[in-house]
Amino acid sequence: MAQSELVKKHRVRELLVALLPIAALAVLFGALCLVVNIKGYRLDMYLKIVFNEGVVLAIVATGAIFIYSLGSFDISLGASTLFSATIGVMVYNASGSLPLMILTIFGVAIGCSLLSSVLASVFHIPVFVTTVAMMSVLSAVAAQIITTNGGALGGIGIPATVVAPLDNVPFKLIALAAFALLCVFVFDFTKIGRRLKFLGSNAVCAKLSGIKVNVYAIIAFVMAGLGVGLGAFLTLVYTPSVTPTTAGSIGMNILVAIVFGGMPISGGSRSRIYAALVGGFSYILLNNILKIVIDSGAGYGISQIVSAVFFLAVVYVTSMNYRTKLLPR
Amino acid sequence: MKTLKKLFALLLTLAMVACLFVGCAGDTPATDNTPATNTPATDAPATESGTDDVEPIKIGVLVADVSGEEALAFRSYYENYIASNYNVTFSYTEQLEDAAAEKSAIEKFAAQGCQAILSFSSADRATQLDTCIANGLYYAVASGMLDDAQFETYKGSEYFVGQIGPSMDTEYEAGYAMGKYFADKGVKTVAMYGAFIPNPMHVYRAAGVLAGLGMTYGGASEKDAIVGQIFGDQGIDPSKVGANGVELIGYFQGFGDTTFDELFAMLGQGPDAFLSVGMATTFFTDALNGAGVEFSDIDSFTSANGEAMANGKLVYLAGKYSSSIGPIFAAVVNAVNGHPVRDAEGNALSISQDYLVATDADSFAQYSTTDQGDSPIFSKEVLDTVIGENVSYDDFAALVSADRS
Amino acid sequence: MEPILAMKHIRKTFSSTVALGDVSLEVYPGEVRGLIGENGSGKSTISSIAAGMQKADSGEMIFRGKPWRPKSMIDALQNGVGMIVQESGTISGVTVAENIFLAELGQFKRLGVIDRKAMNRKADEALANIGVKDVRGSTPMAALDFQTRKLVEIAKVVMKQPSILVVDETSTALSQTGRDILYGIIKRFREEGKAVLFISHDLEEIMEVCDTLTVLRDGARIRDFKKEEFDPDAIRTSMIGRELQGDYYRSDFTPSRLDEVALKAEHLQSGSALKDVSIDFYRGEIVGVGGLSHCGMHTLGKILFGAERPDSGRVVTADGTKITNETVAMKQGIGYVAKDRDVESLALNTGIRDNIAVAGMERYAIGNVLITNAKEKRYADQQIQSLSIKCAGRDQLVSQLSGGNKQKVVFGKWIGRGSDILILDCPTRGVDIGVKKAMYELMTSLKKEGKTIVMISEELPELMGMADRLIIMKDGVIMKEFQRSEDLSDAEIIRYMI
Repeated sequence: MAQSELVKKHRVRELLVALLPIAALAVLFGALCLVVNIKGYRLDMYLKIVFNEGVVLAIVATGAIFIYSLGSFDISLGASTLFSATIGVMVYNASGSLPLMILTIFGVAIGCSLLSSVLASVFHIPVFVTTVAMMSVLSAVAAQIITTNGGALGGIGIPATVVAPLDNVPFKLIALAAFALLCVFVFDFTKIGRRLKFLGSNAVCAKLSGIKVNVYAIIAFVMAGLGVGLGAFLTLVYTPSVTPTTAGSIGMNILVAIVFGGMPISGGSRSRIYAALVGGFSYILLNNILKIVIDSGAGYGISQIVSAVFFLAVVYVTSMNYRTKLLPR
Repeated sequence: MKTLKKLFALLLTLAMVACLFVGCAGDTPATDNTPATNTPATDAPATESGTDDVEPIKIGVLVADVSGEEALAFRSYYENYIASNYNVTFSYTEQLEDAAAEKSAIEKFAAQGCQAILSFSSADRATQLDTCIANGLYYAVASGMLDDAQFETYKGSEYFVGQIGPSMDTEYEAGYAMGKYFADKGVKTVAMYGAFIPNPMHVYRAAGVLAGLGMTYGGASEKDAIVGQIFGDQGIDPSKVGANGVELIGYFQGFGDTTFDELFAMLGQGPDAFLSVGMATTFFTDALNGAGVEFSDIDSFTSANGEAMANGKLVYLAGKYSSSIGPIFAAVVNAVNGHPVRDAEGNALSISQDYLVATDADSFAQYSTTDQGDSPIFSKEVLDTVIGENVSYDDFAALVSADRS
Repeated sequence: MEPILAMKHIRKTFSSTVALGDVSLEVYPGEVRGLIGENGSGKSTISSIAAGMQKADSGEMIFRGKPWRPKSMIDALQNGVGMIVQESGTISGVTVAENIFLAELGQFKRLGVIDRKAMNRKADEALANIGVKDVRGSTPMAALDFQTRKLVEIAKVVMKQPSILVVDETSTALSQTGRDILYGIIKRFREEGKAVLFISHDLEEIMEVCDTLTVLRDGARIRDFKKEEFDPDAIRTSMIGRELQGDYYRSDFTPSRLDEVALKAEHLQSGSALKDVSIDFYRGEIVGVGGLSHCGMHTLGKILFGAERPDSGRVVTADGTKITNETVAMKQGIGYVAKDRDVESLALNTGIRDNIAVAGMERYAIGNVLITNAKEKRYADQQIQSLSIKCAGRDQLVSQLSGGNKQKVVFGKWIGRGSDILILDCPTRGVDIGVKKAMYELMTSLKKEGKTIVMISEELPELMGMADRLIIMKDGVIMKEFQRSEDLSDAEIIRYMI
């Protein structure tokens, strides 16, 4: 076979693997419509619910792509979402100012992110380690604030009317689109994105190619912080209160979403912004389909098991291309 | 080529799994195909009869705890006893983690055509209520109670059915009674387990226990002051406890890798009693029986607890019985059927429900056996007295507060 | 005579790369057959297929008259084909004996417990059998150096008495004693009527050891040589597919440079690696730095590029800018080709384009920030073309390229951005003759453009062949500086190295 033919075949396969997550999203979307219809539920409401459930995850995960592309990992994102929302609520309740609350949320989110990355570069430890510490600290501090101020309610909140006007699909869609576009721009059309991906591919080589590792790690964390800020704000828009468990599942779900989106956890050159969007919504769709189909009486956890099987299948497919590429020399 | 084949095989597998789901979905009985209505069926016929020719009432149940013995007993009462005696179906959520999960669960129930929500989940009750109101669903609190200010806000809403359960004051009282029981018994040293403080319920109970034992906390002996400090400390700091006859020799809370180490360290000091504000019977019964330390808990009348009381060292149990959630169900049925029970000012139900206390195997057996299977304390016969058109607030109050012991 | 192993029409591809396209190969009893070819010619692939390390896409193999389909390397070894692999195949956490009997600890089990004494004794025997006497079976593997580990691996394979022994680039890891042991084993195989497949880069060695020689190129069998036909030039020619002039270094013997210092190293001190090293590098000059591997020259390269900080002393450019880190160095037009190519110079699981573009973004970024695909592609394509990088496309993963082409990508990365000073640490390491020649030509033309080249190398011939000035280091100290001359003798240079 001629080399060029092989190349073409190879490209087709690459494309297939790249398109697979998107195809999976479409299939899952169709499946949801189908099961909702069969069950006689209201599709319009379900679609709105899925969007509401997915939007925060998609946004925070999109920001997190910057960290994941480095081949790094931040498990404190859920905790910093909680923490920034908590501080935001406190600031609103003290000042009564919505703009100030929004600014605070973003500021705190970016601050938390910066702190993780700066600590990591000061102490020369992997960022992942500092994020583990940050996770404990942030959730403990947030829980302390919430329980001392929330008392018997178990949570603190802002008046529902403050953000209720924003609790609609168009607003959230615009927020999501704007953030995703910003991320795509930075990631795909600036030096920053290229260098982040290269750092993720080989940090030693990146350093010897003039890329300042710490600077770019900090940039990645700031972008992730932006996502956390927006995510925290939208969390408050959906439910104007925070409890110690708010956003608790986001940290792990980000990882699942990114994998569902077809991006390797090792980061590097195959990092894609759309992986977070596609994966985030795929995951939420899958969860909802499973919850509808599997009666909760059938036993708790079955839908998690099926999710896990899907997760492994996706990991298998996305890594398949890598494994067959190994040349002995 | 190989990769393509693998890919294809995988896609096929996924497709097969998908078919399986669709197949399962298709198998569900057609009765589930509720027309998508959001407005409560105010003019629907009464469903007390349990006949099947009328659409059943669909109730969504919010749960934060899916595996505790008490939660399972509640669920069994609704799904087995109530569902077979009334024309009603219950849909349960999976474990709800936070306020957002509660809200979207309610929205899903609305999309599924539920008419009412019974909530055992308490991350953000105000948002739960707002969501129910926005979706035209009746809402009732099945465990615990709203905070006073929240109740004031929502008591006038037509969708708020009400709340029947232990209020925070009741929780405090339950803790107080437990503490006092041991103080009166003349114990000199106690160890204490704070369960999941800062969970408000556990905070109030723990505050009650301290007061009941005659202790002060941070110098305070008043309920609100003790509660406030425990929230602030996120637990109980033994050094702040002022003893008065009974000494607190150890305190721990939560459940993790070191929990048993903490427990055994405490038992090593040989306390006269071990007081728990919740969950101890789930976690520690064997260890405490083994150590021969008398203990107490606030839990429910399960068979395991009965065993611990009859043959082990459990000497005091304040508990709910699984059918204690019967009256709130009756209130929901009334609301769905168009004759909601309101007080004189037209406000929602709010009735505090006390714990029952067993201190020996006989009293325990009474509560547990009478609340098993086909003959719960709140049986169909009892509940039927408060289901119907001419039921008043006082009827409910009388039913709930009647001495069941 | 029947061949002991016949491989017929073997074909193997790795995604878009054809590693072997219809290759047939026979090995006869008593024969030591050499396999030679450039990187990526397919010599390792075909031998690893024979030894069960991987499977062919198509084709068949006959071993001792029966179809040969090994399931794994262990399966192959147990049935008569043993292979000593290129990279170390031993496990360092366990003892020598455990390594040797890794797959068959069962045979030493007595009452469910492994009889270590018996196992160690057997291991000692296996080692003694190949002539290694100073290593015991009970020794932890981690305590051995690289060469001894290799010998353990050889013992492990030979102990199984295979009919065919595959030796893949093993001798490069061995000292003379080790090599003698290996050659002794090969001799024994020949005498016992068994066969050896011997793979090596080293033409001299392969001509010495082998009876016949098969040249592979681009996944095809090009030509066989019988012992009496052995001729270095003819073999080289068939390896690279074109006539190669005997001498591929610079043809002139006069040192030359512009009278302008480009980079100065002043009193560099770095632990025990560098002791008060000062050198001026001129424009239009190739400075060779040579010595034994640990003489400090590799550290010097890193410090010149700012990748390592000296304890004292400094590196400055002509305008006095002090080189403190890689970014400053690059701003001053310095490029650095690292010795450990796969780790330090390339991101392997990344495309050629990204690897070339990473250092040169300021050349095509709009406003030094904005990147467009079109411009980036053009930039990468320019390098691919001007360096004739053999690839399936600009987005092919670098890991799929041969050593020589990988190195070309590294050169492209630094030349593309217009580096004026190139620090090349072992630039031709693991690169085949054809690419080597291209590299030397490139260096010569860069020199003519007035660029400064610092060539750090462990290969004396290329230093003598290319450098205007040759600096010999030993133990962190500059021992001697030679000017380019026809009269340079390697014996004299080596005297300063050791």
